[in-house]
Amino acid sequence: MRPLDWSILIGSLVLVVVYGLWRSRDSGTVNKYLLAGKTMPWYAMALSIMATQASAITFISTTGQSYVDGMRFVQFYFGLPLAMVILCATAVPIFHRANVYTAYEYLEQRFDAKTRALVSVIFLIQRGLAIGVALYAPAIVLTVLLGWPDRLTTIVMGGLVVLYTTIGGIKAVTWTDVQQMVVMMTGLVAALVTAVWLLPAEVSFLDAVRLAGASGKLNPVVTRLDWNDRYNLWSGLLGGMFLALAYFGCDQSQVQRYLTGRSIAQSRLSLLFNAAAKVPMQFLILFIGTIVFVFYIFEKPPLVFQPVELARLENSGAAYRQVAERYEAAFEERREAARGLLEARRKGEASRVAQSLERYREADRDFEAARQEGLRLAREERNQPGFNDTNYIFLGFVTRYLPAGLVGLVMAAIFAAAMSSISAEINSLATVSVIDIYQRHFRRQAPDAHYLKAARLATIFWGAYAVITAEFGSSLGALIEAVNILGSYFYGGLLGVFVLAFYFKQVTGNGAFYGVLAGEAAIFLVAHLTGISFLWYNVVGCLVVIAVGVGLSRLERAFPARVTA
Amino acid sequence: MRLPVKEPASCEEPPPFLGSWGRVYGAVLLYLASLIALFYLFGKLFTP
Repeated sequence: MRPLDWSILIGSLVLVVVYGLWRSRDSGTVNKYLLAGKTMPWYAMALSIMATQASAITFISTTGQSYVDGMRFVQFYFGLPLAMVILCATAVPIFHRANVYTAYEYLEQRFDAKTRALVSVIFLIQRGLAIGVALYAPAIVLTVLLGWPDRLTTIVMGGLVVLYTTIGGIKAVTWTDVQQMVVMMTGLVAALVTAVWLLPAEVSFLDAVRLAGASGKLNPVVTRLDWNDRYNLWSGLLGGMFLALAYFGCDQSQVQRYLTGRSIAQSRLSLLFNAAAKVPMQFLILFIGTIVFVFYIFEKPPLVFQPVELARLENSGAAYRQVAERYEAAFEERREAARGLLEARRKGEASRVAQSLERYREADRDFEAARQEGLRLAREERNQPGFNDTNYIFLGFVTRYLPAGLVGLVMAAIFAAAMSSISAEINSLATVSVIDIYQRHFRRQAPDAHYLKAARLATIFWGAYAVITAEFGSSLGALIEAVNILGSYFYGGLLGVFVLAFYFKQVTGNGAFYGVLAGEAAIFLVAHLTGISFLWYNVVGCLVVIAVGVGLSRLERAFPARVTA
Repeated sequence: MRLPVKEPASCEEPPPFLGSWGRVYGAVLLYLASLIALFYLFGKLFTP
């Protein structure tokens, strides 16, 4: 990072924090602190929802994923617009009319206190597990690539987030999210334009797209149905819809955003904006990764993008030298084959194009095989079978090739992505802790100022918790992946109980409560006994909650004394 | 004690365009279908 990069990064951080605090200077009641007095316009909520969802690691790894696996990850988001329409028609008016602070408060109105408490605790566990990782994961990437101490990175990010979230509450979170979203989009567009500009002079933009296509990277729609394949049209539409329904309809970190709307219409517009903008935005992020892939057809990429592991490999002896020589030769062959293909296209001779295409594809396969060999060596050296370098591809490109100023801008975008997600999580964790736990179970009668103080203290607590758990991130190692997977287990149960609440008027509190427990048990069983993709867990969990909830409620009505005993 | 929550301004406010929420939802679904079709064509067009 050069002085100009530092200026841009620090300038953007200061601007975002100061602007957020200025916009939230009137947050002196619990209602204003947690719901912004229900005054937010749709565009602020819309950008806040988008910023909350786009975490730093999403930002960093999505581009890398496209480099490795093509653009098919975009299908993961196809279910999101469907979910938004369903939520606008159901959850948004129901939550607004229920006049609640949290989604889980509504569950007590509809069922009973124990269902509300169970779901609140599930949320606290799920988000609590994830928040330290959300802070630590980008820090470790920045540490490896730039040599920044990870402790300093987590403290700076966490400290700034706690500062404006504690002082300004949800208004500060929302308005900083707006700023952060602008920074993120600017960083993305700048990265794309620069990646295209860095291509060799003889390679036009269309040439780059054609080469990406020849490499099998342009696969944004895969129509083949495969239950074990994570990303295809059907898992995206159905599994993605269930996941988005659960995330935007049951996760307080998102529900709280649109509860701040000044009307139902404003809240609906904020979600519909996301329905329209999210898929193209993800397409853009993935397309950047694809262009980076094409850039590396002409500029030799490192054998392994994680620099520390690469350095370790380079000192590992004969096995590495053999792989490195093969990799070098495969790179040269692929580059020449790519040039030959472009040349053949320019001349327009069909038979030569077909021949060149075949040569290019074979060279691309050889190159990929050599890279996989390098990764295999790195896994053996590290004794970590799950190691991959996907998260280092994009930032490695940024730090190595982008000009001064743009590196700072992209780093500011990464910080913005991390901070916008973490602030929303801290804010929602504090809200649920105070409204659903403290106020409901420990201190039911107290002045507004007391709960406002409790909300601020809860924000500081969750912020400190995030920083402290992130501090232990390096010793968590592979546990981080387990924590992420564990987090995805809970959404099906949450979605199921809200579907029961909205659509099954006959379901009782007992039915909902035991339905959630059964749904969670079903997800854990499916996850450990089958190989189906995690996107389907939400479908399974939701259906089991509904089936058990409806069944138990019928039993309870038929035999009231036995079921409730 | 239940903390006070301000009632939203209007519960049945119409959308600012297309006249009804049903039409807006229909437009979003149509947009999604077009987007998927466009992505599909994009992939087909540039993948030899």
